Amino acid sequence: MSTTLPVGRELVDAQQADPGRSTTRPLRHRSRRGTERKRYTVGEVASMVVLAALVLIVSFPVLYALLNSFRTYAEITIEPMGLPTTFKFDNYLRLFQETEYGEAVVNTLIITVGTILLLIAIVPMAAYGIERIGGRSSRWLYLLFIAGLMIPFQVRMIPLVKGMNEVGLYGTLTSVILVHLGGAASFGILLYCSFIKSVPVEVEEAAHMDGAGRLRTFWSIVFPMLLPVTSAFVIIQALGLWNDFFVPLVFLDSTSAGTINVAINRMVGLLTSQWELIYTGAILALVPSVVIFAAFQRYFIKGMSIGAVKG
Amino acid sequence: MSETHTAEKAPVRSGSQRFRRQRAAMFGFIAPALLVYLVMVIAPSLQSIQISLTDWDGVNDAYNYVGLSNYEDILGSERFWNAVKNTLLLGLGSAVIVNVISLAVALLLDRLNHWQGFFRTIVYLPALVSGFIAATIWKYILNFNFGVVNTTLRDAGLPTWTHDWLGDSEIVVSVLLFLLCFTLGGNTTLIYLANLQSVPQELVEAARIDGASGPQVFRFVTWPMLAGAVTVNMTLAMIAGWTIFDQILVLTSGGPGFISETMAFFIYKVGFGEYRAGYGSAAAVVLFVVVLASTVVANRYMRSREIQA
Repeated sequence: MSTTLPVGRELVDAQQADPGRSTTRPLRHRSRRGTERKRYTVGEVASMVVLAALVLIVSFPVLYALLNSFRTYAEITIEPMGLPTTFKFDNYLRLFQETEYGEAVVNTLIITVGTILLLIAIVPMAAYGIERIGGRSSRWLYLLFIAGLMIPFQVRMIPLVKGMNEVGLYGTLTSVILVHLGGAASFGILLYCSFIKSVPVEVEEAAHMDGAGRLRTFWSIVFPMLLPVTSAFVIIQALGLWNDFFVPLVFLDSTSAGTINVAINRMVGLLTSQWELIYTGAILALVPSVVIFAAFQRYFIKGMSIGAVKG
Repeated sequence: MSETHTAEKAPVRSGSQRFRRQRAAMFGFIAPALLVYLVMVIAPSLQSIQISLTDWDGVNDAYNYVGLSNYEDILGSERFWNAVKNTLLLGLGSAVIVNVISLAVALLLDRLNHWQGFFRTIVYLPALVSGFIAATIWKYILNFNFGVVNTTLRDAGLPTWTHDWLGDSEIVVSVLLFLLCFTLGGNTTLIYLANLQSVPQELVEAARIDGASGPQVFRFVTWPMLAGAVTVNMTLAMIAGWTIFDQILVLTSGGPGFISETMAFFIYKVGFGEYRAGYGSAAAVVLFVVVLASTVVANRYMRSREIQA
């Protein structure tokens, strides 16, 4: 997005500057010349300064927690604005030795990865089925799934706890995964359906003629074409699942170490809460999100704009 | 769609047979997700209505049907209306403010001809911090005795400016609103930016040639073109706003007293903390009606002012 548009503008500029030139000349050459010509304007530099300042201000809590994760409890409470004197990872070690944080990390990983794998196994296939089943069923099934976007978790929470208790799943990671599956299905169907509409049926028919079954046609022909949506879906869900607090809070009791957020919340609830460990836990919880974002930024930003840009 | 057409045109028997087999196969594709969705979302939502008509405590097996009395209690409860008020204030308030901030940030980003990708990335980074983690850190920053805000104020010789930020019933809701709006928007900003970049440049240039000033270009060209993005972002922000929970639980637990409860927190507290699952379910059903109604009404209104590009 950000690269295509300036090129377009520069192309227009170049044409106006030299109307005799043919537009079929290599585009790369021209756009490079174009960027060289662009000057930094006062407004642009001011925008940069304002943006950088805003980022610093909004990041204050996290930066503060990061600095304090290298300080002791005494240092933090006696001089809250002080800077760390040494950069030792004592708190990080203690977090794993003295609390259930390590177990909570494993639980969070199992929930996040398990939910995503199951979502990928059922949601793209369902969206494909909804789009291809045709007629009125197509529309009704789509609406049925989309309705879930307007059902807050709180509405189904009490009956779900009751049901999970009845089948003996309450307090297990499985219950959390199942609840998440239902919650994420609606968004997944929305995302995949809008994309599958643009996948031509002819390709599938050709594969079908060649003797591939329905299921094989889907997984070997259609699914790979859905990769852009799948990556966006996976990244959005991974961040959401990793950061979720409410569902594990409700479904995991004290028999389990909980997820990272639940474990941190339990440390907060203690009478003798150890601020330095809570700051450390908060910072560690952010690491996977930052890594996922850094690795898949391109897909991420594309995913955010799928269906959100009109025309 | 196109397959339906071929089925109609083809000879009746083989066409419909192929069509039927196709439908069966496609239904097989849908079935697993549909099953999970029905069991995990639709069935419990409906069961919520049933439980809301009982006096179930959430623990014992026994319960009685009490008709609509839970709903009567809720609608007559000052505590519930306070939660509704807070939900409106925090949910709708933060939705509007965060959208304004996001649009402003997106406009700043859109002005950049250099380093735009870099700035887009760093602007997004704070959004990677979940509401829960941010709230947990704030809880300590705002601590009355040792929190960095109050100690800094005392050191600066302004001890009268210190407050029990999360324990003073006069200011606690405003503090929560401030914390909810302490963001650069994240996804909301990205959606605005993508839409800003799809505004045809010719329109902006034409307006400039006609002598429009910067603010005028925004008011009469950019803003109308953003109507779709505003609809999407406001709808998403409102749905999230109606269910604000993490920040309340971490920062105030609804307190002091019940002053800072939201509807989502009220349902959780009543249903699990006070063993009134029937009562909590009734509140959940009310929440669902509010979410549904506000989403439909807001979408109607905002769609009506969108232009068809």
